[in-house]
Amino acid sequence: MGLASFLIRRSINMVITVLGVIFIMFIITHVITPNPAVAWAGPHPVPSIVEAITKEYHLNDPIYVQFYYFLLAVFQGDWGEDPMYHQPIIQLIDTYFPRTLELTIAAMIVIIVLGILTGAIAAVRKNTPTDYTIRAFYLVTWSMPPFLVAMLLQLAIAYGLRLLPATGLANPLLPMPKPITGMPTIDALIEGDWPFFWSSLRHLILPATALALVAFGIISRLIRNSMIDIASKPFIRTAIMKGLRERDVVFKHMLRNALIPAITVLALTFASLLAGAVVIEDVFSWTGMGWLLTQALYQQDYPLVMAGTFIVAIGIVVANLVADILYAVVDPRIKLE
Amino acid sequence: MHMAVQTTIVSERRVSSLRLFMTYMLHNPPTLIGFIITVAFYGWAIIEGVLQLLGMVLHNPAIGWALLPYNPFAVNYAAAFQPPSLKHIFGTDNLGRDLFSEILYGAPTEVLISILVVGSAILIGGFIGMISGYFGKYVDEAGMRVTDMFLAFPAIILALAVEAAIGRGAINAAIALVVVWWPTYARLFRAETLRVKTQYFIDAAKLSGTGSAGIIFRHIFPNVLTPIISYATIDLGNVILAYSIISFLGFGVPPPYPEWGRLVSEGFQYFPAPAWWYAIIPGVVITIVVIGLALLGDGISEYITSGGITA
Repeated sequence: MGLASFLIRRSINMVITVLGVIFIMFIITHVITPNPAVAWAGPHPVPSIVEAITKEYHLNDPIYVQFYYFLLAVFQGDWGEDPMYHQPIIQLIDTYFPRTLELTIAAMIVIIVLGILTGAIAAVRKNTPTDYTIRAFYLVTWSMPPFLVAMLLQLAIAYGLRLLPATGLANPLLPMPKPITGMPTIDALIEGDWPFFWSSLRHLILPATALALVAFGIISRLIRNSMIDIASKPFIRTAIMKGLRERDVVFKHMLRNALIPAITVLALTFASLLAGAVVIEDVFSWTGMGWLLTQALYQQDYPLVMAGTFIVAIGIVVANLVADILYAVVDPRIKLE
Repeated sequence: MHMAVQTTIVSERRVSSLRLFMTYMLHNPPTLIGFIITVAFYGWAIIEGVLQLLGMVLHNPAIGWALLPYNPFAVNYAAAFQPPSLKHIFGTDNLGRDLFSEILYGAPTEVLISILVVGSAILIGGFIGMISGYFGKYVDEAGMRVTDMFLAFPAIILALAVEAAIGRGAINAAIALVVVWWPTYARLFRAETLRVKTQYFIDAAKLSGTGSAGIIFRHIFPNVLTPIISYATIDLGNVILAYSIISFLGFGVPPPYPEWGRLVSEGFQYFPAPAWWYAIIPGVVITIVVIGLALLGDGISEYITSGGITA
C-alpha cells in the first residue's frame, strides 16, 4: 500500500474516532447523567435556571433530536456560556489551552534530551552500574504519582535551594504580554518583553521537568533496548571492522537507527503529557487547561468539564495521527497496512 | 474417572511451576524484592480489610484498628504536626492522627480498586478482544474502532468526567476507571488470539465439532492468559497510580476514611511548612507499592519468555 492511501485511510479512521469521541461525550452528558439540566446549573440549582437550560439544550426533546443539537454545537465550536466565568467556553479554552501546550512542549524538549541521553548511555554501558542506576532511576520516577514528583521538585529546588519559583505562570506583578500565540513565554519573546520572558521561563522549568520525569523512562528504555538490539546487527560489525571510531559507530549507526521507533513513541508520549498536565498544573498553580479543568471539577462547573475533556481528547487523537504519519514517513522500510 | 486424572495432572504441574518460579526469584533479586513488596502489601490489605469488615458487621469499628499502633481517627490537637520519630514513624497530621496508622488503615481500598478494575478490564477487554481476533474481518474492524475511541480519551480525565456525571465515590471511581481501562486489554487479547488461532489444536477443536464459543472460552482463553498475567501485574500498579490521582483531586472515598491520594492532597495544604511529611510520605508509600508490582510483573514476563512455563 502506498503512502498516500495509507494516510487517507488513517485520516478516515481519525474522523471516525473523533465522531466516536463526540458520541461518547454525548452519552456521558445526556444519557448517563441522571438529570443534565440540574447538573449543568451547578451546585445550587435554581428552578428558573434549570428550566432555561432545559430549553436552551432541548433536553425535553427526544434523544436523537438532542444529539442533533449537540453535534451542531460541537461543530460550530459553540459550547455555550460558562455559568461560573460568565464568558463563552470557547474563549476560556482559547486562553487556557495554549498555556498547557507551552508546558507540554517544554516537557517534550526535556524528555527528548533526557530520554535519548540516558538511553544511549545505558546502552553503551550495558550491564554496568551506570546502566543499572539509570534504569533504577526511571523505574522510580515512572512509578511515582505525578503529584509526588512535583512536590519533591518543589521541596528540593524551590523551597530548599531557592533556585526557582514554586508556583504560578510568572511573577504576578508583571503585566501579561498581549496574547499572540497565547503561550506566555513565547508571546513575551515575540514582543521583546524581557523581564516577563525571564520570569515565565523560570516558572516554566519546574513543572516541565516534573511532567517530563514521569514520562522520560519510556523513551530511555526504548532507546536503550533498540540500541542493544541494533548492536548485534551485521552492519554494526561491518562498521567496526571498517575501522570506524567507536563514537561514530554509536552516534551515526546505532543511535540514528534507534531514533526511528522513538519518534512514534514520542508523539504518543505527547498525548499522555496533555493528560498528565492536569495534576502537574494543579500542584504548580500553572493556570492552563488542566488547572481550569480541576477548578471546574471542584466547582461542579459541568459544561466546562465536558468541553475541557473533549478538547484534550481531540488533542490526543491528533497526536496519534501524527504518530502514525511520522511512523510511515520516517522509515520507508516499514510496510504499511 | 478421566476427569479426575486430568485434574491431578494439572494441579501437579501448577505446584511444580510455582516452585520453579520461586527458585527463579532467588536468582533475580529485583523480582524477589517486587514479590516481597507485593505479598506484604496485598497480604496486609486483606487482613486489614477483613478486620474492617468484621468491625462493620459487629458494629464495633475498633476491631478495624486492633492491629494498628494508634486509632487512625482519634483527634489529638496536642500531637498535631509531629515530624517522623520513633513514637510516630511517619509523623502526625493536622489533627494529631498517626499517619502510619492512617496509611495502614487505607490499604484495603487501594487493593480492592486495583483488583476490581484490572479484573473487570480483563473480562470486558478479553471478551471484545478475543471475539475481534477470532472472527476477524468486519467484527474485528468494528471491535477495534470502538476500542480506538475509548483509547483516545485520556484515562484519568474521562474517569473524572464520568464521575462528574454519575457522582463521586469509590465505586463510581472504579466504574469510571474500568470504562477507560478495558481497551488496552482488548488490544492485548486480540493480538494474542491472532497468534493462537493459527495453531493446530484450534483446527483440531474445529474438526471435532466444537462451536466458536467453545473454542474461544475453552481453548483460546486459557492459552492467551499467560502473557497477560505479567502485564496485569504491572497494571495493578498503574490502577493504584491512576486512582491515587483521582483521590488526590477529591473524587475518591469521602473523608475521614484515610485514602492515600487524599492524604497527599490534605497534606499539600500544609506543604512545605509546617509538615512536609504529611504530603510526601503517603506519596512515597504509593510509589513503593507501584515499584513492587512493576518489578514482579517484569520478573514474571522475563520468566515466561525465558521458557520457564511450557505453555
